[in-house]
Amino acid sequence: MNDILFVQSDKEPRAIIHLDMDCFYAAIEVRDQPSLKGKPVGVGGARDRRGVLTTCNYEARKFGVRSAMPTFMALQRCPHLIILPTRFDVYRKESAVIREILYRFTPLVEPLSLDEAYLDVTAHPGAPGPLAQVIRGLILRKTKLTASAGIGPNKLVAKIASDLKKPNGQVEVKPEEVPEFMEKLPVRKLWGIGEVTGQKLERLGIATCGDMRRLSRADLLENFGKFGIELYDLCRGIDERPVEPDRERKSLSNEETFSTDLETLSECEEKLPELFEELMADLAQKESTRIITKIFVKLKFHDFTRTTVERAGLAPSLDQFRSLLAEAFARTGKSVRLIGLGVRFANTAQDETQLPLL
Amino acid sequence: MKFSATKEKLLEGLQQVQNVVSTRTTLPILSNVLLQAKGNEVHLTTTDLDVGVRGSFEANVEKEGATTLPARRLFTIIRELPSSEVQVEVDGKNAASIRSGQSFFKILGLPEEEFPPLPKFDSAKVVTIRQKDLRDGLRKTSYAISTDETRYVLNGLLFSLKENKLTLVATDGRRLAMVDIELEFPRSHEADIIVPTKAVTELQRLLTDDGEVKMSVGSGQIAFDLNNTLLVSKLIEGNYPNYRQVIPTETKERVTLERETFLNSLRRVSLLASDKSNSIKLNFTKNNIDITANTPEVGEAKESLAVAYKGRDFSIAFNPEFFMAPLRNLTEDEVFLDLIDEMSPGVLKIQTPFLYVLMPMRISS
Repeated sequence: MNDILFVQSDKEPRAIIHLDMDCFYAAIEVRDQPSLKGKPVGVGGARDRRGVLTTCNYEARKFGVRSAMPTFMALQRCPHLIILPTRFDVYRKESAVIREILYRFTPLVEPLSLDEAYLDVTAHPGAPGPLAQVIRGLILRKTKLTASAGIGPNKLVAKIASDLKKPNGQVEVKPEEVPEFMEKLPVRKLWGIGEVTGQKLERLGIATCGDMRRLSRADLLENFGKFGIELYDLCRGIDERPVEPDRERKSLSNEETFSTDLETLSECEEKLPELFEELMADLAQKESTRIITKIFVKLKFHDFTRTTVERAGLAPSLDQFRSLLAEAFARTGKSVRLIGLGVRFANTAQDETQLPLL
Repeated sequence: MKFSATKEKLLEGLQQVQNVVSTRTTLPILSNVLLQAKGNEVHLTTTDLDVGVRGSFEANVEKEGATTLPARRLFTIIRELPSSEVQVEVDGKNAASIRSGQSFFKILGLPEEEFPPLPKFDSAKVVTIRQKDLRDGLRKTSYAISTDETRYVLNGLLFSLKENKLTLVATDGRRLAMVDIELEFPRSHEADIIVPTKAVTELQRLLTDDGEVKMSVGSGQIAFDLNNTLLVSKLIEGNYPNYRQVIPTETKERVTLERETFLNSLRRVSLLASDKSNSIKLNFTKNNIDITANTPEVGEAKESLAVAYKGRDFSIAFNPEFFMAPLRNLTEDEVFLDLIDEMSPGVLKIQTPFLYVLMPMRISS
């Protein structure tokens, strides 16, 4: 590591950069095959009929193609979409190059995936906006790939900001600008608000964070339970989570809340392949080297009670998840509001580890 | 279509093909078996679009024709029939009447035309191999195939045709099993292909100790023709990792082990390997191996084996399951274990061309 003398800092406000590579996998593929330039390109599950796209470039997005969209649906929207298989070894190599650049500026780097990271640059003498500019420039020079950045006093604001001028852009939100920035922000941009909560908020007449600010803590608690307390802070742009370098994930899961509850096991089973594909894609992207010790299925029922079935020693496969799902469903027979699939990892710092051969 | 056959023949025929049928499918036709009655045979075909099997059974065909019927349902009905004589008659709407003794069943099928045809192999490269050799090779390797779907090229068995050898390789990234089979084929037929697990499992079910199997390698697919049965499968696309590089070229210590004795000891000791750590330790001293396992707050196990060993004293830990798998699938009385040190892969060998490379586990103490 370089001579960074300004590591830790209690300085307030903090300066956080959220750095997000622009359609990372697709961009790498287009860079490596210049003939693809200007054409709609997707990367991911072409080798299987039930495949899901991991990512796609902006040309493809113009046709309504999105990341995590099933391949067949993507092809319906954009029949001339070029679908390439993933090359994770290449992506990982590029990611390592990018991380090396990030560590030149701060040791407080929290990678979220191969193509996304938070940086805490509070202690850096440079102003965070120009700093982000420099980092993006270095990445472009080294990898010929563009990145977008969001700069803010916390992770929440930085993350939302990085999405605003994509691709190849950046947005800085100064601490004093946060209230105004949040005012018009749609609530769905907040972490944890998906389809179901979003609809519920709409019914309450809440579309933006500004609208939400008019609700008291008690109102939010009543409507959204514990999550409501969090929402109270989130809609004000308050987020105290520190940037955690080298945070080791203990588990990885993928879950979905359904707009209508699922009544039968077979209805639940129908949802499995997609959840599974997404989990696998996520796993390959984020934690492809970890040893999986357990797999689990979590169900949340219509009455918000929940149950989790987990089993050690199983590799994550659709069949294994299906049998766990059947077991979890049989426990209550209640209609299901949410299904989550996940894996737990062995602690890498464990005393005993199976050494890899390949 | 109308035919009669013995219950046994019908069951045997269905058993060969029914495992391919997927239990849950979005295409109902894939749950069905295609029946084609012609001459004095009824051909049966099933497919899940990745793997397909075609077999046949002897029958007295009164009226030729074809239909498709739900495979599992048909199988369970035939299995329960009271008499050994079975008569099947299918009307123009693909409804099958099954009569046997006092029983009558009517099950509804789907038209033959909806059934996806098995792929054609026009310009395939054909290699012939003794069924017994392939069966033996698959048994010695297939248990090491990875089930980790994030490493999909490892979710199958490598068939490497090179220099008049068929090399079969399976690995999950922690251990690797490999077998060489001598085989004659032209240079132009050399290829590296990855056959998916499901096809390997089906193939193992179909192979016998007699006769030959004709392997046809087409683009992206493979067919195995076993006298009366045909198995076709898509191949896994991608490059198999360079497995040669993980096979140690040197060895420091070699011990000869009695396979069954060693397997039994491992099995007993592993009872005290915990779920969490799941390792057993081999402690080598002069002419002796101590196999040990312990689980904190549960207990420990130890077993000593007298062996001819003259090397240095050292300990190495392995996942017991990974160690027992090859021992269970080999038939030889004696196996050789080659070791270098506690952090390098161990290699299990026998007299014939077989290798099992296993990475040890790292233990802090």
